[in-house]
Amino acid sequence: MSTVTEAEPSFDRQATGSRLDWQRMLPWGLLALLMAAMLGLQSQLYIGQERTVTAIFMFVALAQAWNVIGGFTGYACFGQVVFFGIGGYATAVTMVHWHLSFWLALPLSGVGAALFGAVIGLPLLRLKGHYFAIATLGVAEGMREVVTNVPALTGGGAGITVPTVGEDATTAYLGNDGFYLLFLGIAALSLVVALVISRNRFGFALRAIHQDEDAAGAMGINTTRAKVLAFSISGMLTGLVGACYAFQQVVIFPDRLFDVELTVLMVVMVVIGGSGTVLGPLLGAVGLQYLSEYLRHSYTEAHTFILGAIIIVAVVFLPQGFVNYVREARRSGDYSLLANVRRYRL
Amino acid sequence: MSAFLQATVYGLLQGGLLALVAVGFSLVWGVMNVVNLAHGSFVIMGAYLGWELQVHAGIDPLLGMFAAAAVMFVLGYAIQRWLINLVVNAPIFITLLLTFGLSLLIVQGMNIIFSANYRSISTGYASTSLSMGSVRVPLGRLIAFGIAVLVTVALVALVNRTRIGLAILATGMDRGAARLMGIPARHVYSLTFGLSAALAAIAGTMVGTVDTFSPAAAGSFTLLSFVIAVLGGLGNMYGALLGGLLIGLVESWAGLYLSGTWVNAMAFLVLVVVLVVRPSGLVGRAYYAARVEV
Amino acid sequence: MSTPPVLETRGLTRRFGGLEAVADVSFSVPQGEILGVIGPNGAGKSTFINLVTGHVKPSSGTVLVHGKDMTGAKPWTLAQARVARTFQIVKPFRGMTVRENVAVGVLYGPNHAVTMARALVRADEVLDDVGLEGARDRGPAELSTADARRLELAKALALDPELLLLDEVMAGLRDNEIQPGLDLIRRLRDRGLTILVVEHVMKAIREVSDRVLVIHQGRVLTSGEPDEVLSDPRVIEAYLGKRYAERHEGESGA
Repeated sequence: MSTVTEAEPSFDRQATGSRLDWQRMLPWGLLALLMAAMLGLQSQLYIGQERTVTAIFMFVALAQAWNVIGGFTGYACFGQVVFFGIGGYATAVTMVHWHLSFWLALPLSGVGAALFGAVIGLPLLRLKGHYFAIATLGVAEGMREVVTNVPALTGGGAGITVPTVGEDATTAYLGNDGFYLLFLGIAALSLVVALVISRNRFGFALRAIHQDEDAAGAMGINTTRAKVLAFSISGMLTGLVGACYAFQQVVIFPDRLFDVELTVLMVVMVVIGGSGTVLGPLLGAVGLQYLSEYLRHSYTEAHTFILGAIIIVAVVFLPQGFVNYVREARRSGDYSLLANVRRYRL
Repeated sequence: MSAFLQATVYGLLQGGLLALVAVGFSLVWGVMNVVNLAHGSFVIMGAYLGWELQVHAGIDPLLGMFAAAAVMFVLGYAIQRWLINLVVNAPIFITLLLTFGLSLLIVQGMNIIFSANYRSISTGYASTSLSMGSVRVPLGRLIAFGIAVLVTVALVALVNRTRIGLAILATGMDRGAARLMGIPARHVYSLTFGLSAALAAIAGTMVGTVDTFSPAAAGSFTLLSFVIAVLGGLGNMYGALLGGLLIGLVESWAGLYLSGTWVNAMAFLVLVVVLVVRPSGLVGRAYYAARVEV
Repeated sequence: MSTPPVLETRGLTRRFGGLEAVADVSFSVPQGEILGVIGPNGAGKSTFINLVTGHVKPSSGTVLVHGKDMTGAKPWTLAQARVARTFQIVKPFRGMTVRENVAVGVLYGPNHAVTMARALVRADEVLDDVGLEGARDRGPAELSTADARRLELAKALALDPELLLLDEVMAGLRDNEIQPGLDLIRRLRDRGLTILVVEHVMKAIREVSDRVLVIHQGRVLTSGEPDEVLSDPRVIEAYLGKRYAERHEGESGA
């Protein structure tokens, strides 16, 4: 049983007509403003800072992608990185073997990841809870071995080099400024997708499935179709990020492209920020990635150790996520974190 | 043929050990619906404890494993009592994340303390082997296998025959009802988790005597535990034994016929196929209340 | 040619392991009838509803809706065919308001070509119908038992059903809450709905049903007029055990 936080009257706004129209437009306005600010920010950054912000964009996109299946639909996918890896390898392999331009390889990778999501989604989305979580984890681990074991195609464990320099180059390397814009674009795309889903019919169906799948089916929602579609969209976004990442890294390895820690980071960002909202994963990704970079620089050795501790503290004190916590606290006037702990304890 | 026979024997011996790795994981999952992603790190911690005792105090791992188990029992009890119990009713993301955070903490802690180097617990008997016709049976592995089976049998007896065991079973089946009968759920959960950690420590010590280990192996032990628990039906301890033997055999045979690291994919292949075809596991229905929750 | 019954099952059977939860159940419900389905705990009543609505797949047998074979169809297919149900354990969408709960059915049910604003207007009409108009902006967690059951019914009515399967909508209600429920069921029938009522509350069944079907150990024990069926010794025995039935017979014979 999932415990979903209190009712959120999202559609009532639309029913009451133009009075609150501005409230409907507000997130779009804010998003446009944010993008403009990010474009302006670029020229103000040193190279190191630019890379940090680029990495933050990447995680904003990844968190939002996971949010579609994990947050909205409520299926805890612990193998999300498989889409990242498939997107990355699809780009690398098509650029190397088919001599495709990156700009062609990128959408192809997205489509490939979406198709893969549909194919594994059909059998796997029949599983629930832990079973789904670990089955997807198994798929990701298995796929890593597959990629490792077909070196003729993927370069195997020794990695594969994306042709970006010299005579074989199909698309010239973008450089720091180029990748900043590329990842900003991907982050914007994922935010737009999440925002649209959070407010349309489809998102309404996903919320219903999350809250009670049997009831959703009984009320006419084709739950199989909705879940598979959500999984595909989520996979496509993740695959696009993987494709950009592969291009940025130039040399990619199965161990990095299918790293389970990447999945966990997505889940942590979404859960800590507030799953099922659009703002939550955005804040979670920005906050956690910034913190993580800071820790990596300041406490190189203990960095993972501290990250583990942060995860533990965060899930104990903010199990519903930051955004949902603030929302509830504002409604009830109770800001106590201890009340939070009391909610799920034995 | 003799290569096949050798692989079969090796697979069975390895499978028994894997079953011991998984049985505690299965117990925790079955009783409190918590998938403990830190289980593999408990196994490795047990291996390091056994290693420390042998290297610094000269205690044979066959004795040392009891000390390691005692230490891990206390640690496991404390983790459940003061940490996991806080979120045991939360959606599954939360318990998965919490135990994953715990695993990061423990693995990195071990990296800092022991370094990432591979180690093993060397014993006199590990390198000895018995010959049965053309098949070689390493004594160390035979001992580890024997202990794995004995501990699993003892665990089943403990759960089915003792007051504490029955309290664990009852709480696993219906926590509310068990509470009404005066069984303190917090304490019972903590005992269960402690027991699981102690079993992991014994398994870890045995792993250390027959193989090399490093903190990085924690993740794969957790995954194998999951595969085996699913195969056996969650909470079903003999099922875990069967699942362990099966995975041991599959991996050993795969190593014989497949090249490269395909072997590593076998367990996951089996997992995904079983989940899709027979979600309740190989051994009939789940032993405990099979609560499938989101 | 006569119109086929709204719902018909032929030899419907479901086995769980070695247990036959529902065994060889055949019957039909004509247009506009209220059929009461009774049986002791564990008789297979809920499984029976789950078999009809596609939440559980039959081991064998056939389900016909308006004469069309719907055996093993998915729940949403049945919802599109205007077959609606309630769940014995209420299943509200806990993160939505009462109004949004009902709007889901308007949006995704057979009338799905509506806008959200329209869906909410229609949801309000349904809530008026079941007497929940005062609670529409509340969360399901804030509702009383009776109101939670009303919401369950409202969610089913949001589909504009022709066939309504009610799984113990009266369970846990006080006597004074049952009467309005019965009135509502009758009103729905008067609008042309065909209704199957699974119920434990005998008084309710006797009062509202045109016909009663008794299921015992997964099989049809008997069916007929409510008064006739409810005084059938086999039915009393199934409910209360053999000894009670004998004594009861002795007393009434004396």
